[in-house]
Amino acid sequence: MAMRELVTGGAACAVPGTSGSSNPLGALTDALIGSSSKNKERLREIPTATTTTSDGNFFAGTEEPFAALPGTEFEHPLQPNAQGSEFLQGFRSADQNRFADAWDEIQRPQIPHSLGRDSITNIPLEHGPPQRVLSSFLHSFVHSGHGSIPFRPTSLPVLGLSEGDKQCIRDRSSIMARHFFADKSEDFINTQVNALLSSLDIDNDVRSRGPMPGRLPELEEYWNESQGMKFGPYATDGWVTEFSQRQIEHNDPNAWVQSFERQHGANGWATEFEHEQSQLASIDQMRGANISSLAAMEHTRKLAHTLAQNNDPKFQNSKFLQFVSKMSRGEITIEDNQIKQATISAPGDWAAEYQQQYSGGQTWADQFVNEQHSHGQGWVNEFAAERELHGSVDGEWVNEFSKLHVNDWAEEFEHQVAEGVLGESAGDNWANAYDEYLNEQVALKQNSESSRGVYVFSDLNPYVGHPNPLKEGQELFRKGLLSESVLALEAEVLKNPDNSEGWRLLGIAHAENDDDQQAIAAMMRAQEVDPTNLEVLLALGVSHTNELEQAAALKYLYSWLRHHPKYGTIAPADQSDNLYYADVARLFNDAAKISPDDADVHIVLGVLYNLSREYDKAIEAFQTSLKLKPRDYSLWNKLGATQANSVQSADAILAYQQALDLKPNYVRAWANMGISYANQGMYEDSIRYYVRALSMNPKADNAWQYLRISLSCASRNDMLEACDSRNLDFLQKEFPL
Amino acid sequence: MADSTQLKSEALMEQMKLHMATDAGKKIVKKIGLVYQINIAPKKIGFNEKSFVVDLKKGEVKEGAYEDGKPDATFSFTDDDFVKVASGKMNPQIAFMRGAMKIKGSISAAQKFTPDIFPKPSKM
Repeated sequence: MAMRELVTGGAACAVPGTSGSSNPLGALTDALIGSSSKNKERLREIPTATTTTSDGNFFAGTEEPFAALPGTEFEHPLQPNAQGSEFLQGFRSADQNRFADAWDEIQRPQIPHSLGRDSITNIPLEHGPPQRVLSSFLHSFVHSGHGSIPFRPTSLPVLGLSEGDKQCIRDRSSIMARHFFADKSEDFINTQVNALLSSLDIDNDVRSRGPMPGRLPELEEYWNESQGMKFGPYATDGWVTEFSQRQIEHNDPNAWVQSFERQHGANGWATEFEHEQSQLASIDQMRGANISSLAAMEHTRKLAHTLAQNNDPKFQNSKFLQFVSKMSRGEITIEDNQIKQATISAPGDWAAEYQQQYSGGQTWADQFVNEQHSHGQGWVNEFAAERELHGSVDGEWVNEFSKLHVNDWAEEFEHQVAEGVLGESAGDNWANAYDEYLNEQVALKQNSESSRGVYVFSDLNPYVGHPNPLKEGQELFRKGLLSESVLALEAEVLKNPDNSEGWRLLGIAHAENDDDQQAIAAMMRAQEVDPTNLEVLLALGVSHTNELEQAAALKYLYSWLRHHPKYGTIAPADQSDNLYYADVARLFNDAAKISPDDADVHIVLGVLYNLSREYDKAIEAFQTSLKLKPRDYSLWNKLGATQANSVQSADAILAYQQALDLKPNYVRAWANMGISYANQGMYEDSIRYYVRALSMNPKADNAWQYLRISLSCASRNDMLEACDSRNLDFLQKEFPL
Repeated sequence: MADSTQLKSEALMEQMKLHMATDAGKKIVKKIGLVYQINIAPKKIGFNEKSFVVDLKKGEVKEGAYEDGKPDATFSFTDDDFVKVASGKMNPQIAFMRGAMKIKGSISAAQKFTPDIFPKPSKM
């Protein structure tokens, strides 16, 4: 009902600020698309628009994009619309800078080399994580939209997109394409999107091929779903496609509900939903007992419950129900009764998209206010009340459902929609936001997997297929090219998962690259293959100590003793569960007495004393072992770290310097240097060291966070954005060592 | 002494304690001059909490609840979340919005509680 009114313009759903009888959503969309006529002017306004050549690279084989804008494509704005121009004027005047910024950002390609014509090997692997590749690619897609130049399919390296990612990209790109090219033919749109998708190797069989009637194809599509129409060709929403694929024999959308109900009971999906929520809550370590989100969840649960109660098929099939159920479906599969792990993509994006479509979500709530004759007004009012309370509960919803820890992306979108800032910059912002989102997702995925000890392989690995990756990895390690050696070693362990040396070296490389999570994951694999390897056990002890996992660290250090050929006898075998620190320390001291010249015993003792924070003893132990092994760079770093943690920062810096003299590419030592300066309040210095560490390993997340803190402590808020966008070039220029 | 039930946050608190004696630590005391109490729970906020007092008036860090009156602000975290906030992995505002950080007391005092107060641990 209400949706239709939104589309066709009905009195009940007048969007404030527009005349009641017009199509409010049409106005919005026209404004977005109709602004294409303003595009040319805007582009002229921006001084850099015609002069940079880097953009030329983004266009596969075409000339300067803006020169190619004769304006022919923009001569036919969709519909002259007074509201559109009003809207746009507001947009233009308010937002000159933002658009310019977006352009600037595009002009400064995040990957130094281009996509498109250039070959894959140009992309530097150290600094070109797949999401960057993807983001540049998406940017260029966006640009092709601006220039109305056909986007050629290019072959991109395997980006390792998951199914969820692909679906997400597929859905979003088709919707965005429709926005950009709405004044073009359907074929053009399809070609563009197909080009994008085939480059990304996304299956687009599920994309619709039929002509989309009306000016607002996606909206009508959604609307049609809600009316219970056949799911056939309206497949832009991947959910629908999946659904239709799964329900081949049922053409009746009710069947889904019914079959679900059969499986799970009438309240099944509401309970699944709740279950899922609690699952999310338990999986998500960051939430704990989260009162405000619990409140939101409680609301949504009640909501879901209420909806499940209503047997009116129209209600059941309504957009809202599907939206809500998709949230749960996005996390689970219907067939199994099992809760699957959340995929990266679907729920949040879809929800955010939904919001975007509905101008910030006001409308569907209104829709429901209107629809709620038979049902208690209770939850609607509650919901509306909560919305007022929170400004936008939709945002919270998105947060809850999407499991994104910081869903700035969706919030930003709401923000932008609310401020009417969509339009030409929407595409760029979308691509940028998508970058951030992908970055975040990869980081989250890595964090969540690594924290469970699962090793996360890099996506783009040129060493796969190398005849002897282990040797290559060792060579690269020796040369100090840590990130490269990681890749080679990954290729090795992919080939030979039982190669303990491969895993061990991989772990060491990660630790030196300042990534304890991956180091632990790799070392655990090494330990599985070779449980008695002392170096592995020590490394595990060290990494766990760094991560403040004290019990685990103690266990590994004790294992070291037990498996040692010489000292194994002094350690009773069955004590692993009841390890008391004091006992372990005593045993080590006994071992040291047995062989005072064994540097390793002293090293382990040093780590042990770090655990108990008896720093003086730890320092002594390390110094003893350094006398025996003075060229062990990792030992110097251990000494330095111990000194730093006992606030002897000046001494620490000297020790780190020794380590760096021995191994100049020792990322961890560089980062530790930064920490020691920062802890002394010397923030400007610390920034330089962090930047140096990051230039060697841009994936060192800790260092990024510390850099940010130092920047704000040094009152360099101007560089915060560069930090947030991980713009190393800029930071390096600004803060050289 | 380390034993298996120790919180990660304890290590950070101890480092903070040592930090207070340094010049940088003294600067912080001058800058902030407030008393915070931080309740850390191992898994779920409010359960099995251990309290720490980060007294940035005197420049002390102590275990246990604040006895000399009322702290300017009291925070509650889980162990992991506190580590995240103190290391800058999680922004305090975000933490608060998501319920990962509970606050009692003066909001303006709470706003001064930022990651840069805490010294960062160095990695062996």
